[in-house]
Amino acid sequence: MGRSSEDHARVADTRRRWALASPALAIITLFSILPLLVVVVYSFLSPGDFGGVHWKLSFEGWFSVLFERDIFDDTVSLSDAHLTILTRSVVLSLATTVITLFLGVPTAWFIATRPQKQRAFWLLLITIPFWTNLLVRTIAVQEMIRSDGVFNRIMLGLGLIDEPIQMMFTNFALLVGMAYVFLPLMVLPVYSAIERFDFRLAEAGYDLYASRLYCLRRVILPMVRPGVIAGSILVFIPSLGAYVTPRIMGGGKSMMLGNLIEMQFGQGRNWPLGAALSLTLTALVLVALIWYSRLTGGGSRRD
Amino acid sequence: MLDIRNLSKRFGRGESAVTALHEVSFSIKEGEFFTLLGPSGCGKTTLLRMIAGFEPPSGGALVLDGQDIAHTPPNRRPVNTVFQNYALFPHMTVAENVGFALGALGKRQAEIDETVGRMLDLVQLGHLAHRKSGELSGGQQQRVALARALAPKPRILLLDEPLSALDMKLRKEMQVELKRLQRETGLTFIFVTHDQEEALTMSDRIAVMSGGRFQQIAEPRDLYDQPANRFVAGFIGETNFLDGRCEGGQLILPEAEAPVPAAHDDGPVTVMVRPERVVLGAAQPGALVLQAKVEQLVYFGTDTHVHMALANGNTLVARVQNADQSDAACREGETIPVSLPGGALRLLPQEAA
Ligand SMILES: Nc1ncnc2c1ncn2[C@@H]1O[C@H](COP(=O)(O)OP(=O)(O)OP(=O)(O)O)[C@@H](O)[C@H]1O
Ligand SMILES: [Mg+2]
Repeated sequence: MGRSSEDHARVADTRRRWALASPALAIITLFSILPLLVVVVYSFLSPGDFGGVHWKLSFEGWFSVLFERDIFDDTVSLSDAHLTILTRSVVLSLATTVITLFLGVPTAWFIATRPQKQRAFWLLLITIPFWTNLLVRTIAVQEMIRSDGVFNRIMLGLGLIDEPIQMMFTNFALLVGMAYVFLPLMVLPVYSAIERFDFRLAEAGYDLYASRLYCLRRVILPMVRPGVIAGSILVFIPSLGAYVTPRIMGGGKSMMLGNLIEMQFGQGRNWPLGAALSLTLTALVLVALIWYSRLTGGGSRRD
Repeated sequence: MLDIRNLSKRFGRGESAVTALHEVSFSIKEGEFFTLLGPSGCGKTTLLRMIAGFEPPSGGALVLDGQDIAHTPPNRRPVNTVFQNYALFPHMTVAENVGFALGALGKRQAEIDETVGRMLDLVQLGHLAHRKSGELSGGQQQRVALARALAPKPRILLLDEPLSALDMKLRKEMQVELKRLQRETGLTFIFVTHDQEEALTMSDRIAVMSGGRFQQIAEPRDLYDQPANRFVAGFIGETNFLDGRCEGGQLILPEAEAPVPAAHDDGPVTVMVRPERVVLGAAQPGALVLQAKVEQLVYFGTDTHVHMALANGNTLVARVQNADQSDAACREGETIPVSLPGGALRLLPQEAA
């Protein structure tokens, strides 16, 4: 008797939980799962003549992500253009992450070690770019490094160079732009990790015969690591899918995945390929997220 | 072994400068349990942090085993600290915490493991070696902090109010434990507290501090029986203060019936007498006899505190053992004679209180 009333209670409890969760589930289904399904379905259809899709099953979209067929004899080969863009996207995103790490961690350290009152000011400086349109920010960077931009004019004026250094539309330009745009995403989580760090622990380490370096390695870094990882993820993932910055800084020459996808839905008129590329990007992001949860989740479980 | 000479510390510059420590000098002997005792803000932590190396002194010398270490960084001083908040590394296990210093010194793992095992046995925490330090109770964290600071065999162990975060019962246990550890290891301890009872029960010598100055350095018994000044007398234990005057070898108290002989220079004095030395009832030879009105009896179990008012409005407290005297000795509202035996009186120079 007691058993079954307990079961009843449990069933009722489960039902109530589902009921409570249902609005959230509905929203997730409507705005996240359904659109994703549309993309998955489109990736298995044939391209329409003027964009859109033909409702005919085809694996051509997925095939074209990595391969291409010769126009004349139909021989299959790896698609150099796509591979280049894919690797460029991954490599540039990793490089952006590394650059923002090198710039962001010392910056965060600097801010976190200021007196309490000054920190708000420095954080404000870091966040101001956020309030500015991405396009405007990127064009500002372009203004700095283009051939008759600020940098080149100063160098010419000082007589340090004879002709402008061509920087726009190179991987370098892309990196400068992306590092600038994504830097705050690195600084903020690292800052909050350092700010939460209890510097009396560093003092304890120093008291226990640790050199500054040993203290940094064994005490400070392990404790601010979650912030560093979060910052890296926050920079890496949007870098992978970056669209505006590569478009402006890389032009048509240094394309990234985001631009390639946009091209398929625009002038390329190959929606299935665009959908397949989008899913490839999503898969890359997922890999990064799984790696992230391994790094942090494993740590917190041991904690 | 540790000589501190004219050590001083100022924080800040110009107008806003705070002098936390005014030229203090003292020596600590090998194996001593030395306590810094004083009210909040008197500079105990500042002095300890200077010995540890976290604060550079503004002046003076800090000589350990014949070497001036005033400007040696903390990681090169053979001195370790048990911090008030313990400051255990939360991402490490108990064993890793205890072995930290040895790792930093580049010792071999086998040696580290051996020492860590020994230290954990010493503080009776062997069974918790692989717990994360955040998963321990306050008392356990305290022991880990102790073991961690003891593991590298420092010349001096500094303890900044290590027991203040513990509850009363645990605190008493840890006092005994600390004393045992100190005896077993033969280490020199410099212990900071603002709890006078803790200082009296544990220390070999106590330095009473106030306002960045040393008021007195003495053994607990001497500090209690022969305080150097009114501050020390008031800070250690409970005390009655009465204002009097010395004239020609006689102590004259306005409230008393007759003067008693006193070996003191002529002039105004403060008379100090501990409550447990006050005797209810009259006529002991050589005692000051006063008339006092009993205002309140406060029962404490083993003893009763008798609060009395003197003729001129001053108060006097007596402590009577409940084993010796029955409650019938006095009643609230009664006026009774009270004796202050000559041997119980201590004369201090009068200060503007
Ligand atoms: N970093 C600092 N900057 C300015 N003043 C300080 C600093 N550290 C301490 N002081 C001042 O020095 C004086 C002594 O402080 P200290 O921390 O040594 O006191 P304490 O005896 O340990 O007190 P408590 O019992 O409250 O811990 C205080 O007046 C304090 O305000
Ligand atoms: Mg203190």
